[in-house]
Amino acid sequence: MSQLLEMLSLPLVACIMMGGILGYSGIHVLKREVIFIDIALAQIAAVGSIIAHLAFEAEEGALLSYVFSFSCVLSIAMFYALVRRRVIQISIEAVIGISYAIAAAAALFLIGLAPGHVHVEEMLAGSLLWIQPTDVIWAFIAFSAIGACFYIFQRPLSTISQNYQDAVTEGVRVVWWDFLFYGLMGIVITIAVRAAGVVVVFAFLIIPATVSALFASRWAARLLIAWTVATISSIAGLLFAYYLDFSVGPAITLFLGSALVIATLLSRLHKAGSIKVTR
Amino acid sequence: MITGLTEYSESLKAAKKNSEDRKQKTELRSDLFSAVWSLFGKEIIMSESVGLFSRQIALIAVVLVLHTYIGLHIIRRTLIFSDLVLDQLAAFGALVGVALHIAYGSPLSYLLAMSAVLFGSLLLALINPKNREIPREAVIGILYALALVISLLLTDKLPGGDIYVEKTLTGYLSWVSWPLVIVTIIVYIALLLFHYKLRHKFIALAENPQTLKNEKLWDFLLFTTQGIITVLIVPIAGVLLAYAFLMIPAAIATMFTRKWAGAVVLGWSIGFVACLIGLGSSYFFNFPYGPSLVLSLGAFFIGALVLRSLRYRKGYE
Repeated sequence: MSQLLEMLSLPLVACIMMGGILGYSGIHVLKREVIFIDIALAQIAAVGSIIAHLAFEAEEGALLSYVFSFSCVLSIAMFYALVRRRVIQISIEAVIGISYAIAAAAALFLIGLAPGHVHVEEMLAGSLLWIQPTDVIWAFIAFSAIGACFYIFQRPLSTISQNYQDAVTEGVRVVWWDFLFYGLMGIVITIAVRAAGVVVVFAFLIIPATVSALFASRWAARLLIAWTVATISSIAGLLFAYYLDFSVGPAITLFLGSALVIATLLSRLHKAGSIKVTR
Repeated sequence: MITGLTEYSESLKAAKKNSEDRKQKTELRSDLFSAVWSLFGKEIIMSESVGLFSRQIALIAVVLVLHTYIGLHIIRRTLIFSDLVLDQLAAFGALVGVALHIAYGSPLSYLLAMSAVLFGSLLLALINPKNREIPREAVIGILYALALVISLLLTDKLPGGDIYVEKTLTGYLSWVSWPLVIVTIIVYIALLLFHYKLRHKFIALAENPQTLKNEKLWDFLLFTTQGIITVLIVPIAGVLLAYAFLMIPAAIATMFTRKWAGAVVLGWSIGFVACLIGLGSSYFFNFPYGPSLVLSLGAFFIGALVLRSLRYRKGYE
């Protein structure tokens, strides 16, 4: 039992933190319909750290590597904000999806200049089990700061998420607020993906927010549901992975996915029930 | 596809050592080789690479027509993730084959990939949330994550499974042979005829689906087409390039015209020129072909975005 706690307490703390910040931003992401944002920003951050490595031999996790990742992510945030405002013919989701392909090709291209073998799988699945206490502390500081930003600038950000065109006609400075939103998202995702891998971060971002939309429409209620789902799925996933010897990341994702399936069935039953009552 | 740096630096070291070993060997051989080379080697290799180049061009020219058209549907309806879902399910089918000791790339393995893709198309067509707060794209994204996760959990229990995960991401355009080109072309032409014949239905599906009787059936047929071309093209081009073929020409065309036929012509032409440039530069500068093609397409896409944003108040011309 004590061994179990020792192994899983740090990953669980990391999961709860990620569930907190990603659960909130996931609601924004769903409202804006920019589902691809996690995968695209993670890929762009990876390009930044590859450039840092090729140019200055910076190791992964070094300060310089983070600086490069963050600069790439912030530039792309400005790009998304501008394109969203000025190109109305295609959806921003399509632009983000394509930017992912371009960034992935750029990463392969840069590596192709100096050929080598690359472990794709580990980056996808992450290594949450081996997270270090210092990583958790740094992530806590960064996530708290970003959470505070989200809280302070809640009003303009959610106005834009709710309806972009309305925000434009109301005179909100959409490009700057969008830049802030995508920039903050970029920093959260860069940090979270280094710890947990792309898939887990994607699942934490989209699934709890989707579950919450099934049962509530007010922000506070949705947040509460999203956080509960994220926490319960994390605990279940960690235990499943521990006892049956699977990778932690995929296991947690699987439980988040099952939570969504169960929630969908429950909401169907609930609706069917309420229709009967009203009749 | 996203690359860990530590593994990367280790692999760099390994590659360096490897190339040193190879250098010594090649130095020994080079005298003999250069003598033979000057006699006739150059001619053979030149004609061979010209042959490969023309096969690749022919394949791209045919493939782009259908990809642009299907891409237009995907872009206009914002179902961007659907391609990754089908790619991942095809890979999962092949992985199940590996677990059952069926060789990768054999007909049976293709069959498994195809059944996984058909199952995926069915799910994509059936799941369409009515809740306004849940965009369809979100559900498709979640399907992608789950398909990826079951592949990863399967490879966890499969000796050497991670190699196959990578195999499905990169492709083998350099292996393009005439029989493969011919099979691909025949299937593509059949699909093109099918879509030409039923174009009114599919366009109605994108523009005003309320007028269609069996919306889910047409959705299923659209995703199945996308699935068939995925299963055919991904082993050759890799996931990334297949995705770029589908998205980028269609996205560029959508920015400039609302007409379907015009968009296919525009998307095909720009896509073809971009592919020629990408393929040419990969030959002349010895760049990796897949990323070169995607980057060349991407450069055109960014150019189109800039052009569009400079005159954004004008709408469509």
